[in-house]
Amino acid sequence: MNVSVKNLWALMRREVWESPFAFKWTPLGIGLLVVFFTVLMLVLGARFDAEMAFTLDAVRLFGDLPHEQKRLMVSGFLFAASNLFLQLMILIILFYLAGSLFDDRKDRSILFWKSLPVSDSMTVFSKLLTACVMVPALFLGAIVLTHIALLIIGSMYALMAGINPVQDLWLPASLPRLWTVMALGLLVQALWLLPIYAWLLFCSSWAPRLPILIAVAIPAGISIAQHSYSLISGFRLPDYNVGLIMLRRLGSGVLPGNANIDFSGGIENIEFNEGLYMSFSGVFNHLLKPEMWLGWLIAAVLLAAAIAFRRRATDQ
Amino acid sequence: MSSIIKARSLSRRYGRVKALDGIDLDIPAGRIVGLIGPNGAGKTTALKAILGLSSYRGELSVLGMDPASQRDQLMRQVCFIADVAVLPRWARVDQIIELTERLHPNFSRQRCLRYLEATRIRPRARIKTLSKGMVVQLHLALVMSISARLLVLDEPTLGLDILFRKRFYSNLLNEYFDEDRTILITTHQVEEVEHILTDLVFIKDGRLVLNSSMEDVYERYFELMARPDQVEAARSFQPLHERVLFGRHIFLFDRADSASLETLGEIHRPSIADLFVALMGDGTNEGSVREDAA
Repeated sequence: MNVSVKNLWALMRREVWESPFAFKWTPLGIGLLVVFFTVLMLVLGARFDAEMAFTLDAVRLFGDLPHEQKRLMVSGFLFAASNLFLQLMILIILFYLAGSLFDDRKDRSILFWKSLPVSDSMTVFSKLLTACVMVPALFLGAIVLTHIALLIIGSMYALMAGINPVQDLWLPASLPRLWTVMALGLLVQALWLLPIYAWLLFCSSWAPRLPILIAVAIPAGISIAQHSYSLISGFRLPDYNVGLIMLRRLGSGVLPGNANIDFSGGIENIEFNEGLYMSFSGVFNHLLKPEMWLGWLIAAVLLAAAIAFRRRATDQ
Repeated sequence: MSSIIKARSLSRRYGRVKALDGIDLDIPAGRIVGLIGPNGAGKTTALKAILGLSSYRGELSVLGMDPASQRDQLMRQVCFIADVAVLPRWARVDQIIELTERLHPNFSRQRCLRYLEATRIRPRARIKTLSKGMVVQLHLALVMSISARLLVLDEPTLGLDILFRKRFYSNLLNEYFDEDRTILITTHQVEEVEHILTDLVFIKDGRLVLNSSMEDVYERYFELMARPDQVEAARSFQPLHERVLFGRHIFLFDRADSASLETLGEIHRPSIADLFVALMGDGTNEGSVREDAA
């Protein structure tokens, strides 16, 4: 294996070793929570529904639905069950990146890392790749396990109701397609959020303390300054507000599929269909957007600056 | 390429303070060099420049490379312990060993585990649970297991007990050091390293005060313990330094007429610590000694 690929892998494993709670135990914990609440609901349901007549009837009715509808319901349910993972994942990544080039400066262990034959650009790149690939992969792993656990629980109900769990649950779930679209969606999402990630790495590389606060305060400050300017310019709000642009970027990148949901017609106009969460073209369409490329350009500049600061981090 | 480290008018300023003021230095392979100086003399600044950890002015080449731009390549051949041994507190001992093994082409896991066997450090222990001295032990074990061409140790034994210090220096000399390797040590504990050094460099206020091999040092400098009646005679030879020990006057001479001085008392080698005081000591120090003498 190529030396730099080998080093990169070792450095990414290092990141997981450093934050096992955030990267491994949190997604597994969410999975357990989702399964736990599902079971709790079913147990409570069984208490109200004596002999489970209504529940099993509903399952049988579900079995009689046309295949397309079953597919929409099962895969949609599974996708919805993964939302909590994805939202928390973004939060974890944002905090991780803000600390990633700061913590070892604070505890001075940067001197140890700098004594290893690893370049500063490799170090910065390993942190970015951890955020873009490693953490999403770990969270997706937990999502896959949760999906399987939920389907097993569903299969038990299917068997009790006398419908075929493979025909009526596992096949409609279209797991390979769902997971592939999610995996690709997570990658595209990372590419979409690249300028935000690079901004956090940049702040992390020089902030004297509290990098996350500084990373938020700077765009917020500019944003407020821009708004205040409207007071002396005839109350005209700025066309491009830095803080709002960053927030919109972040907001539209939280779920793998939702950057192409058009909210302009109001939320009630959005039709629930497979295209929202399980279409390859929906995922890849993002790559063709000019905003995407502009984001990469900004990310490249910020990353170069982060590497330069990292190089000088021991120089005071 | 015989020089491991070659510096020409190496300088570094921090604001208005000149931390390094135009240093010329040549360190050939197979030497153990002691870089000795008072606090704030520029030792750490010089080491940081050599290790590619800080910027500098002037020429500097380490193993034929420019440390500032080629640090990652340089670190395949160089290893160092910076002034305080700091290892990442979140890591476990075995994780640090595995990481070093994966990232460092010249690291030997067996050697490292062998060094650790002599300590109370367990492989599954977290670094934050280790005492300060144990972290230093672990760091030394890691560094000694890397076969590097240049080893830089900045106060390596800070916080270690006497037994471990002795063992460390004997390991360093007997197992690690050979004619292809160069070791650069800075320490305030000069008496510990005095017997293993081949070269001595004194630095003060960013300038080199002394830079020569130990043989030359001992040829050039000697101490005279003058007989009580010969003190004035000894003073007439213009000693560098004079001190009083148990009522006997001890003079340090630089390239003086040893044959004539021999008649005034006993001549012996100065210790590095005494040489350090003589060459680096400020005026007030000397004055007080003279007053005592009077």
